[in-house]
Amino acid sequence: MVVVECDRVSKKYNTGLFKKRICAVQNLSFQVKEGTIYGLIGPNGAGKSSTIRMLLGLSRPTKGEVRFRGNVLNAVDLRAEIGYLPENPYLYDHLNLNELLAFSGEAARMEPAVYRLRGRELMARLDLLDAQKRPLRTFSKGMLQRAGICFALLHDPSIIVFDEPMSGLDPVGRKMVFDLVMELKQQGKTILFCSHILNDVERLCDRIGLIHKGQMVREFGREDFLQSASDAVFLLTDRLDESSQRALEPLIIQSRPEGEGTLLAVSVDRYLDVNACLQQKGIAVRGCRSEWVSLEDLFVHHIREHAPCAV
Amino acid sequence: MRSVVALAIITFKEGIRNRALFGIGLMALFLLGLNVSVAGFFMRDIGKVTVDMNLSALNFAGLLLVFFVAINLMAKDIDRKTIHLVLSKPISRSQYVWGKYGGILLFLSVSLAFLFLFSCLTIALLLALYPDYFGAFSWGQFVVAATFVLVKLAVLTAIVLFFSTITTSSLVTLIFSLGSYIAGVTIEEVVFYLKSDWATQERVVSESLRTVIDVLSYLLPNFTVFDFSLEAAHGLPIAFERIVLALGYAGGYSAILLLLAGFIFARREFN
Repeated sequence: MVVVECDRVSKKYNTGLFKKRICAVQNLSFQVKEGTIYGLIGPNGAGKSSTIRMLLGLSRPTKGEVRFRGNVLNAVDLRAEIGYLPENPYLYDHLNLNELLAFSGEAARMEPAVYRLRGRELMARLDLLDAQKRPLRTFSKGMLQRAGICFALLHDPSIIVFDEPMSGLDPVGRKMVFDLVMELKQQGKTILFCSHILNDVERLCDRIGLIHKGQMVREFGREDFLQSASDAVFLLTDRLDESSQRALEPLIIQSRPEGEGTLLAVSVDRYLDVNACLQQKGIAVRGCRSEWVSLEDLFVHHIREHAPCAV
Repeated sequence: MRSVVALAIITFKEGIRNRALFGIGLMALFLLGLNVSVAGFFMRDIGKVTVDMNLSALNFAGLLLVFFVAINLMAKDIDRKTIHLVLSKPISRSQYVWGKYGGILLFLSVSLAFLFLFSCLTIALLLALYPDYFGAFSWGQFVVAATFVLVKLAVLTAIVLFFSTITTSSLVTLIFSLGSYIAGVTIEEVVFYLKSDWATQERVVSESLRTVIDVLSYLLPNFTVFDFSLEAAHGLPIAFERIVLALGYAGGYSAILLLLAGFIFARREFN
């Protein structure tokens, strides 16, 4: 079932009197299915945050529609199903985490006993129990990020929108949030994930949308970039000449130029044969890769290729 | 309703823990202390001067609280995009406006109640020191006058919230709100002057300007309606009808502004 749907959405901003309108999002369409993680990636200013703001009803599309479970987002009650973590959440300076979570629970119409219990669970999960009575202005950037996650997840939403959830987190915090997102996925939550850290997106997301200059450049499935699970190894060798290429062709799955060398996809069964052939031809193996093509490669390739949108 | 109350509570806590509050409180306490030390210079007018100074200190502190703390309680949410987090919860835009208003009102009430307590102590002290010069003084009238300082600030807060919903900067909100306050304090005198025989004889004001001022007098808040300092200082009786009318005017004016603010805010885009 499709939970979140952007249907040919466009957004133009007025930047001021007598100034040209800026096209932040143009004819953008994508669908997020129930229980999946959808990653939205793109360079700075690509329109990711504008898209999220439209999803949350903070701004309205100039054209097109945003739908939640088939309904156009206008009812306040629908937001009870959504949890949102903005990039760099600015929380109330003079409140402590307990008070912030109490507000979150009250706003979501939860019973006080329930939100207190859930708040404690989340604080324990994100290692914030010791800081629960400290004013939020004394929190570090990473702690604020984790506090924002508690705020977003308190009412146990079925749809979660994370805008750069790993931003400002140390490696321990990142692991904590990563595990939490995986756990949420296992619970069947639908997650829209927006990040610049492509490694996280690659590992977490079931489907990825690459946005550039407000347009959807390409959508990827896991099969497009994750082949580490298959029974192949990927060898980076010196650049192969034509005769070497012909000699190796029956032994390998596929090959492609990679920088100054050649990347070979080799079946595990044929690895020894390929290795012998490479030795015989005097071709050096420079290294081994875990994937045929990384999300980063795809990202850079498509961004370079994509023509700018007309404003 | 729960969302509105929850928002009002966090707004109140944000306001009451603001450090600017201590500065404003100290300044008000200084004014009240000054009252005790200088009261002896006024001899026969001690009672009148004391009540005047106390009400002025409450009024001045209240205005500072609205212009320097209350404006930020709303504007900071928008500037720092905290509002994105708040509105991601099931809270409508108009609930947000009412919640903020409730929180600011609670914050102003508690702050002024604290200052009012000190004000009462000051008056009680001077009353004990110079009982002969407080002949016409009445605690009841003083309480009414002090309560209407809060009522006036409640109307001013509604104006602040209204401008916060249509502007994108706290400075512009401050300028518009301050302008409305100054106009609201003086508009009655201007209208009285224009209606007087004097103005008709002098003919210094054109008909079109007269019409503009007439229209403005209905649009702008008339803050002099809430000024009971004269009655409190001289111990003059306050008509019950006047209290009811002033409260009705404050409630009506604030409600209209807040409904308009909610309407505008619901259409606002947060980029």
